Amino acid sequence: MRIRRRVLNAFLIAAVGVVAIVGGLIWHFSQLAAASEAGDLQIRIQMYGAVGLVALLALFAILWSGLDRALIVPLRELARSLRTALHANPDHRIAPQVVVELAELAGAVEEAVDALIKGREHLDETVRQETQLHTAQKEQLEAVLRDLYEGVIICNLNHQILLYNHRALELLHVSGELGLGRSLFQFTNRQPFLHALERLNNRLLDGRGKVRGLTAPFVASTGSGDVSLQCKMTLLTDATSQPTSYVITFEDQTMELAELGRRDHLLHQATDGMRKPLANLRAAAEILSDDPPQDQKTRDAFTRVVRDESHNLSAAMEELSAEFRDIITGHWPMTDIYSANLLNAAVRRLREEEGIEAIMTGVPHWFHGDSYTLLELLYFLTHAVQKISGVSAFDLEALAGDGVVYVDIMWTGSGVTETHLQGWLDQRLDEALGGITVRGVLDRHRTDLWSSKDDVGRARIRLPLTAGLTEGDAVRDRLPPRPEFYDFALLNPDTRHEDLGARPLKSLTYVVFDTETTGLNPSGGDEMISIAGVRVVNGRILTGESFSHLIHPGRKIPETSIRFHGITDDMVENQPPASVVVREFHRFVDDAVLVAHNAAFDMKFLKLKEQATGVVFDNPVLDTLLLSVFLHDHIESHSLDAIAERFGVTVDAETRHTALGDSLVTASLFLKMIRLLDANGVTTLDQARGAAEKMVEVRKLQEQF
Amino acid sequence: MGHVGRDMTKSVLIAEKEANLRLSLRYLMERQGYRVQEAEDGADTAQRVHDQVPDLVLIGVDMENRSGFDLCQSFRSDPSCRDMKIIFITSKARTVERDKGMALGADAYVTKPFANADLMATVRTVLED
Repeated sequence: MRIRRRVLNAFLIAAVGVVAIVGGLIWHFSQLAAASEAGDLQIRIQMYGAVGLVALLALFAILWSGLDRALIVPLRELARSLRTALHANPDHRIAPQVVVELAELAGAVEEAVDALIKGREHLDETVRQETQLHTAQKEQLEAVLRDLYEGVIICNLNHQILLYNHRALELLHVSGELGLGRSLFQFTNRQPFLHALERLNNRLLDGRGKVRGLTAPFVASTGSGDVSLQCKMTLLTDATSQPTSYVITFEDQTMELAELGRRDHLLHQATDGMRKPLANLRAAAEILSDDPPQDQKTRDAFTRVVRDESHNLSAAMEELSAEFRDIITGHWPMTDIYSANLLNAAVRRLREEEGIEAIMTGVPHWFHGDSYTLLELLYFLTHAVQKISGVSAFDLEALAGDGVVYVDIMWTGSGVTETHLQGWLDQRLDEALGGITVRGVLDRHRTDLWSSKDDVGRARIRLPLTAGLTEGDAVRDRLPPRPEFYDFALLNPDTRHEDLGARPLKSLTYVVFDTETTGLNPSGGDEMISIAGVRVVNGRILTGESFSHLIHPGRKIPETSIRFHGITDDMVENQPPASVVVREFHRFVDDAVLVAHNAAFDMKFLKLKEQATGVVFDNPVLDTLLLSVFLHDHIESHSLDAIAERFGVTVDAETRHTALGDSLVTASLFLKMIRLLDANGVTTLDQARGAAEKMVEVRKLQEQF
Repeated sequence: MGHVGRDMTKSVLIAEKEANLRLSLRYLMERQGYRVQEAEDGADTAQRVHDQVPDLVLIGVDMENRSGFDLCQSFRSDPSCRDMKIIFITSKARTVERDKGMALGADAYVTKPFANADLMATVRTVLED
């Protein structure tokens, strides 16, 4: 029966009872009132009233007990069952009599409990499955790591160990466990890792990571310094390209089996292979010396054998050493290093730790080497020169040769004697490198170093390194030549600089600069997207004193131009507008002479911004394109690449076609031009500007044919 | 050809560790009419050059008591040796050693083993220069 009906029935019974009792009393009193006297009536009313009240009390008592049994008790039972089901026993079911009593409510509650419990079971099951999956994946990963020949350690950016394999223990010579969460540097030396991490972070920041990947090989050692480790670090990033952790894979570098195999083979070839010609040679030589044949003809035959076989031996020797060279060039875990990064680090370190003022000069180049040991070597050498000579100002420069890049430490004074250099070879560099010596670093790079001095009192230590495999920047296409601008007015021909005009070109301060733009039409809405420049003082390119800034062009960058300069809308999104950058550039330029290739083009962009920025570039301007026409007027091509080729200046593909890269290349060509101009009788600034002005006409004429 | 007579009397110092090679070198030089002296280590070489500067010194890189590089550098910083020619004869065949030798002021660099004819051509070129 439904609860509502039951409660209704109870109230109906009560109502009928009350009506019957009260009605009965009223009827009875009215009978009495008609038949009885007053005194008797009062007593009777009191008596029947009391009976009526008792009857009413009895009625309500019955009503309560009915409700209690039918409603309150089952409700309490329901609540108790509910708690049991939820907290103690999911299989507990509500007692059947309660179900009967409460029918609908009990049914609903039961459904709710069922749903709740099922939900909970489902959740538990899902969690269990997920955990199982994770465990399986982790086991799989651990199995993969375990089977790796290389040691693997994964660390967070605080260098705490997150995961490692068994091989890592062996290689680090740790018995027991590394312990998750402990610092990596309890087991290895510190600097090479920090250095590699910094390099990868830089690569990530300046976007090179996209092209070159986020892995860098380097050399480190165990904490005790006993074991040299050949390491590779890979930076791991999250979805937003933020670095989160890094993976190091490493091997004991004494265990290069493949290499050893090749060496064995060569050694075998050298020993066995030479026995044959040597046997021929020896037999003939001993006959000639111990028992010379009497007749001329036989003697000549033996002499010929001696001669031929020694030629054979020489040839075999050449072949062997060529093969040996192949082996050793592929020997070390080296990476292509950009000289600017290495020299910059050396400059910073020399200043901070020794107060030595070193300046990075020249055009940066790529070379092959181990960045950290080279940094230590440069630091050691510069410091050592300072100690023996007292010199405290150095230039550091990379210079490209044929297949090599020379890293030069230069100073004014006398050179270092070979005796001194020999003495340094056995000195140990930083203890962090496991006590590697200067000779060790040189051997590792298969090179040597020497000191020499030039005619003008400049001395240098020269360290040759293998040139980098110019990986280039596959992303960028070769730039089509910009339209040449012959508007000489843009080169500030009328600004008079009495004090500068008569000064020798060699002695002036220049800022050689370049811009990247959205297109080739400055007056037709194209805008600058980057500007860069480098200072040239006293014939030296001060690589460290450079300016390089991206610019928000205030418009979309055309897709067609991106493949030339590699700058996208995303990259300039948070960059300041031209008005801000140009003002900063103006401050950087100060009163230097401006130099650019096809300078009128860049000047046009700068001049168009004069109004917005309020700064005016009235510096004297030299155009390397016009100077090149002056120097080689019989040659057609005066593009930057063509001039570089003519001057024998090697340019790394990766350096080119960024504003700073092109500025550096232009600067090094400009320095060569100054020397050539000098030989052509053009020595002062005024003379150079005069020569350029004449060339405007020549070039216009050339253009017509 | 008025120089020929003087050329014939040019002096050559052979600074080489290997006696067997010195033998051949002396023979070859004397056949060309050069006056020949020999030195077998670095200190000896320095002393002989100090006593009398030859027109040419053939110098091995890996000599004992001062290396060939060391000697070359100190000869080049000594004004009295300004006109003396230096040729390295060495078994160090790498480009970097050749670069180093030339950077330190050598006039030529010959790698062992060499053809006698090539060596003599080099000697002649250097002395006539």
